[in-house]
Amino acid sequence: MSLALQSTGGHKVIDPGLVRRDFPIFTTAGLHPKLHYLDNAATTHKPSCVIEALTRSYAQYYGPVHRGLYPLAEQATINFENARRTLQQFIGATSPGELVFTKSATEAINMVAVGWLQSRLNSGDVVWVSRMEHHSNYLPWQRVCKERQAELRVIELTEDGQLDINGTPGLFADSTKFIAVSHVSNVLGIENPVAALCSTAREHGIPVLIDAAQSVSHLSLNVAEMGCDFLAFSAHKMFGPTGIGLLYGREERLSGMEPLLVGGGMVDRVGEASVASQWAGIPSRFEAGSPDMPGAVAFAAAADYLVSLDRDSVRLHIASLTQLAAEGLMAIPGISLLPHAGLPRSGIVSFTHRELHPHDMAQVAGESGVAIRAGHHCAQPLLNHLGLAATARASFSVYNDKADVEALIEAIQSAHEMFSG
Amino acid sequence: MMAQGLYKEKLLEHYKHPRNRCDGPIQGADAIERGSNPRCGDEVEVGIFLNDGRLDKLQFRGRGCAVCIASASMMTEAVAGMGVRQALLLCDEMHVWFGDLDHACTSGLPEGLQPLAVLREHPARQKCVLLSWEALAQAISGTTDR
Repeated sequence: MSLALQSTGGHKVIDPGLVRRDFPIFTTAGLHPKLHYLDNAATTHKPSCVIEALTRSYAQYYGPVHRGLYPLAEQATINFENARRTLQQFIGATSPGELVFTKSATEAINMVAVGWLQSRLNSGDVVWVSRMEHHSNYLPWQRVCKERQAELRVIELTEDGQLDINGTPGLFADSTKFIAVSHVSNVLGIENPVAALCSTAREHGIPVLIDAAQSVSHLSLNVAEMGCDFLAFSAHKMFGPTGIGLLYGREERLSGMEPLLVGGGMVDRVGEASVASQWAGIPSRFEAGSPDMPGAVAFAAAADYLVSLDRDSVRLHIASLTQLAAEGLMAIPGISLLPHAGLPRSGIVSFTHRELHPHDMAQVAGESGVAIRAGHHCAQPLLNHLGLAATARASFSVYNDKADVEALIEAIQSAHEMFSG
Repeated sequence: MMAQGLYKEKLLEHYKHPRNRCDGPIQGADAIERGSNPRCGDEVEVGIFLNDGRLDKLQFRGRGCAVCIASASMMTEAVAGMGVRQALLLCDEMHVWFGDLDHACTSGLPEGLQPLAVLREHPARQKCVLLSWEALAQAISGTTDR
């Protein structure tokens, strides 16, 4: 158990002050003395254990993976595959072979769209995404549908921002060949009922991909309980390094997927004629080129770190800060929350002001040391639907505390006073 | 509330009381062009009124952040009375000043545009500053190409 967990009345509670000690960005003297980092949905900061795992991999255990017969190379290979096993346990996959290292969640989703779905999709078939998707879980499906003269349809949202599954006729029809939805919306912070969706889809033989990029840092992920066919997330949003992500695919699904990249490390036999070449087994066939061993090791260190914090305590801590922020923001004149106030949110509060542009709110906040995001958050289909061009967004993590929320409220109140009237 | 950071008094004053801004469509202009930034939803329409090769008057309308509106407002004042070539040159210089951070300084900015100089330190707001200037350059080019 991490020292940052305090036991209170039989419950484990996150102590954000102690958590912050794990993160050099907050503790290095004089570096960012007034930083209130509330842009965790964009990317999270890195604890020392992740940074050390990365540097140790380069400084002490660096060598080629799957390519050398000397001790250093063997150690590099062992560390790389151990990282895969750690992440397998982290998401509850059946075997390490079901995990493919990618450079991002975006790459993982593109791999499934082109490598798995494209050859199975025909004219008249339907692929479903939801209204709240990030562009990375929208454009790959839009493109593959265009390629194959198939139809991309959108699961709309209820007024409460929930997936309107009951109001979506044809979602589980025979023509549906794939469903791709996010676990948590990066704009609304709404958590989708992915287990129920996967369960019904499976009854109809429809594969489902879950984009877990926004949920992985604060909700427990278990692919067996979720029942998904594919799952994608990146390391950098869960305290891991930038430039590495993960694709989970059920073994039978991955076995039927074509690699996007071909080259070194993904092939068993290369013949003169292309038909004579034979791809390696899974997951190697999807990891062409020298793999990012240090990144994978640091990714696994991030997963270990999250587990050490106790995932239920993380979820409760973030939920309580999110609620506090939602209430505080609503008390500021002119502020509206998306889709509206009073909803449970998973780590994210998006808001607009009756008169102020989100850029101006974010700029004023930034000048007070409060880091929030303003823009369309790579979710234009959702924002267009809501009739908005941009929102301001605050997103929370384990190292945030009430002082961060108070600084946010104060900054937005300042912006309101500065620009109004 | 005191102005802080990039939102100096003059910039805020132009945002709150923009000059030459129309609520409805711009009427009677010799050319009207629009600039938009889909990333943040800013949209500005700039109309120019010519008289013997000079920009007699400029008007704008649209929606945007404080920087976008203040820049458009300052532009309508700074450019009024200029010859079209001189105005086009200023549009180009604005791009250099705000697009090329290695460029020496903004000392060459006309007096009325000096409150924008601080924006050079905020490259993320570059598009907000330049949106109306791009529309102006297009409007002028449209009339001189005829």
